[in-house]
Amino acid sequence: MRGDSPHYYPGTLGNKPVAVQFHAGSHYVALRLLSGYLPEEKIKLVHYGSPQYRFEALMNGEVDAAALMEPWITLAEKLGCRPVCEGHYLGAENASDNMDEETFTAINRAVVKAVDMINADKRKYLHYLIDEPRFASVAVKYGSITPEDFHLSRIRYSYNTPYNDEIVEDTYHWMVRWGLLTDAACSADLVDNRIAEPVPADD
Amino acid sequence: MKKVVSEINGAIFSLPWMVAKDEGLFAAEGIEMEFVTAVSSGQVAHTENPEEVNPILGHVAFEDAKVSIYRA
Repeated sequence: MRGDSPHYYPGTLGNKPVAVQFHAGSHYVALRLLSGYLPEEKIKLVHYGSPQYRFEALMNGEVDAAALMEPWITLAEKLGCRPVCEGHYLGAENASDNMDEETFTAINRAVVKAVDMINADKRKYLHYLIDEPRFASVAVKYGSITPEDFHLSRIRYSYNTPYNDEIVEDTYHWMVRWGLLTDAACSADLVDNRIAEPVPADD
Repeated sequence: MKKVVSEINGAIFSLPWMVAKDEGLFAAEGIEMEFVTAVSSGQVAHTENPEEVNPILGHVAFEDAKVSIYRA
């Protein structure tokens, strides 16, 4: 939230608009975080789309809070905004049916090595975030950011591993509970791990 | 070299892929990696009802079979 906001923790955000992108990480993380403080009927998520629109809605006062990811968080903090809650989520690689196992495994080997390189020197690679056109074109209006502005603990990359049954089941039930997935779907049908075996880093 | 086309949707989500490409890690695996940027949803109609929003979002290239992998 903005620096002049009266909100210092999520419990006062009842019935206050929070900008998210529906069906994306900002939607799910916002629900997971706010539901720990507020009853469902007081959670007021509003679809603002891509992060630049959520950021600008926050800065111009249209919403009381926005769900953001890096590098938008760093820019917002540099402008005096403060986080009231933070969460992290697990992404997924979604491959089409024509992706063969050999290619997928080779891709994963390359990505794992890149993860090691990033984790060995995170700040070295932050220019990718700062220079991304959709971010840079907005950030320049606010003074922009440098690699030194980031809290590196927020930059988290790990090796990709298959979703296990427990994560799939827990996520499935959470989505059904929030009306984001019909219970006519079967959790076992939602994830196909046939070619997602872990890849050793030094393979 | 086998060509693979991947969607890129925000550097924070795809950073390892971008580094792998620029550092030659995909090429070392015999993969010619091409990136396609996800479609920006642009300015959208504001709603509090998730059912009014298409969950495909910007992953149009994957839905159209123009890329073979993306992350979300």
